[in-house]
Amino acid sequence: MSLFRIFINQLEEDDQEMATSKKVITRGEWEKKLNAVKLRKEDMNTLVMNFLVTEGFVEAADKFQRESGTKPEIDLATITDRMAVKKAVQNGNVEDAIEKVNDLNPEILDTNPELFFHLQQQRLIELIRQGKTEEALEFAQEELAPRGEENHAFLQELEKTVALLVFEDASNCPVKDLLDISHRLKTASEVNAAILTSQSHEKDPKLPSLLKMLIWAQNQLDEKAVYPHINDLSTGQLEDPSD
Amino acid sequence: MTSLPLTPSSDNGHRNGNDETSGAVNRGDPILDFLDKIRLSAGAAARGEAMDENEGEEESPTELNTTNSAGGFLIVSPDKLSVKYTNTNLHSYDVGVAQANRPAPFKSLTYYFEIFVKDAGLKGKVAIGFTKEGFVMRRQPGWEVDSCGYHGDDGHIYRGKGTGEAFGPTYTTGDTVGAGINYASQEFFFTKNGALVGKIPKDIKGHLFPTVGVHSQNEEVSVNFGKKKFVFDVNGYETSARNKQQMAIEKISIPPNIGYELVKTYLLHYGYEETLDAFNLATETTVPPIVIAQENVMDEDDSSYDLHQRNTLRKLVRNGDIDAAMANLRDWYPQIVQDDKSVVCFLLHCQKFIELVRVGKLAEGVKFGRLELAKFVGLTEFQDIIEDCFALLVYSKPEESPVGYFLDDSQRELVADAVNAAILSTNPNKKDVRHLHSHLEILLRQLTVCCLERRSLNGDQGETFRLHHVLNNNSTRR
Repeated sequence: MSLFRIFINQLEEDDQEMATSKKVITRGEWEKKLNAVKLRKEDMNTLVMNFLVTEGFVEAADKFQRESGTKPEIDLATITDRMAVKKAVQNGNVEDAIEKVNDLNPEILDTNPELFFHLQQQRLIELIRQGKTEEALEFAQEELAPRGEENHAFLQELEKTVALLVFEDASNCPVKDLLDISHRLKTASEVNAAILTSQSHEKDPKLPSLLKMLIWAQNQLDEKAVYPHINDLSTGQLEDPSD
Repeated sequence: MTSLPLTPSSDNGHRNGNDETSGAVNRGDPILDFLDKIRLSAGAAARGEAMDENEGEEESPTELNTTNSAGGFLIVSPDKLSVKYTNTNLHSYDVGVAQANRPAPFKSLTYYFEIFVKDAGLKGKVAIGFTKEGFVMRRQPGWEVDSCGYHGDDGHIYRGKGTGEAFGPTYTTGDTVGAGINYASQEFFFTKNGALVGKIPKDIKGHLFPTVGVHSQNEEVSVNFGKKKFVFDVNGYETSARNKQQMAIEKISIPPNIGYELVKTYLLHYGYEETLDAFNLATETTVPPIVIAQENVMDEDDSSYDLHQRNTLRKLVRNGDIDAAMANLRDWYPQIVQDDKSVVCFLLHCQKFIELVRVGKLAEGVKFGRLELAKFVGLTEFQDIIEDCFALLVYSKPEESPVGYFLDDSQRELVADAVNAAILSTNPNKKDVRHLHSHLEILLRQLTVCCLERRSLNGDQGETFRLHHVLNNNSTRR
């Protein structure tokens, strides 16, 4: 037998060995285990509340508190403020947003030079979008150029932004993405995250992480066992193992 | 009139009435879960802890075992935290070995302990490692099968035979050396003076005892099982291991907006109508609007069935207005309340009793109890709970009593959930018995079982998933 053949045979043997050495758990056994899990309703409510609060759905969080008795983990009033800032950025009112952030907590922008630069950059973009070329240039020189001098990455961003002015039809130039509404949303997200962090709150809701953990846990368990999976998170249907 | 028993029953955590089924209750009926939940609260209250913390306390090593240590070659100090080599011979079967009094506990991410070399003696042949029960106590840890050891004289690692491999620095008088187990990665790791030296795969199964060895004249070593602060930052090590795992998990992709979907179906399932309306409005008015795939929400479970009625009933129960709730049920869903001995009726009657106690109307409570609750006393399925419930009458401050959990908001929520589940089960479009669990809950259960099963296949070692811990500690799983 050629060495190659011996090698292939060995792999096949290993494969079979691996397949049979995994523990097989039947659907019935698995469902029994599922039913034995003790989940507290309060914990699931807390998970949902955490989602509503982090996403900034104030009214929903307030109603949920009334309907379920779950306490929000941060003061709902702070959510309203945070959402006002986010909305302002999403609507292109960056100056207003900056003012609101400083009202909320002046340290946020002080300790977050990158965020502050991005907000100023967004302001510049809005000025350009409105066709206020002179004002834009003045603003760029006074507020943004000094930041650019301090930081190379900022300088590059600044140059990209100013490039918008050079093109007749800015909506068709290489840097047109800056004018896209998604850039506003990106900046809005950044501000949202910074405010949450300043309030010692995690910037992401826990729920998506748990869903990822489910997929990860199934992948991990696949190494050692054959058992019913949930392959479609939306339906939560248990699917029997394929073989 | 039957007299009401007033003493609380002793051990509620384990009575499930499996032997006898009363006529009204079908043992396979998932609505019985609600009764079990009450029992869980009772059990937890009895133990004075929050529910589901009961992983079963594992005991940790606290000191050295003096009964099996290699007498004649070493002595253990009176505080059982130091050893000293007393012999002068250096035959390889004359090692002074001591094990901890207990094996390392399994159910956490790591186990760790340290030794401090007080005196390296004549030849500095100190060793630290792990061994199993029945280890030959006159050989260094690592020299025999099913043991491992990091030796100070040569800095080698020994993994079950007499020759070792180069591993790390040597260590001597004044050094603090640590040995640990990482259950997630199934590795041993060793440290010296606060720095990680290295790791090796752990191929030994079963319980492992922290072990220390001394082998030359005057060697003296003290052991720290955690009473004093460790020199090595083992918490930091655990945190960075968890973070690494968390980063790998974060890279996994999930369908966009699935979080919104699951929250929406959760709200629909439990009948949180007002929250749902606010939620829908919010998702529609965000920029850009969040589109929740309709075909997923209008699932075969038809979660929006009778949403308004369920919401109304939930409100009434949560406000303690049980009479109005019962009236509505008789009107809208007579089939749920026609059997007065059903689980739902039991829960509602109990709750009415609880509400009377809450406002101090004890006489009325007793009267009501005789009328509506006495009939449950003889029934196995309900007896333990009803007895505990009656016990509320005995205390001047029932909310502070061992049965105070009945007065918690969570009890009202539980009854509201049971009513909700009962209504959902009247849906003629219902295909299967999934009306007890929302999608979110189904996913969380799957996650829990996968983690438990994986740990079980790992020799029951390591952490598992507990939602309660995740919610209370940032991004850790326990």
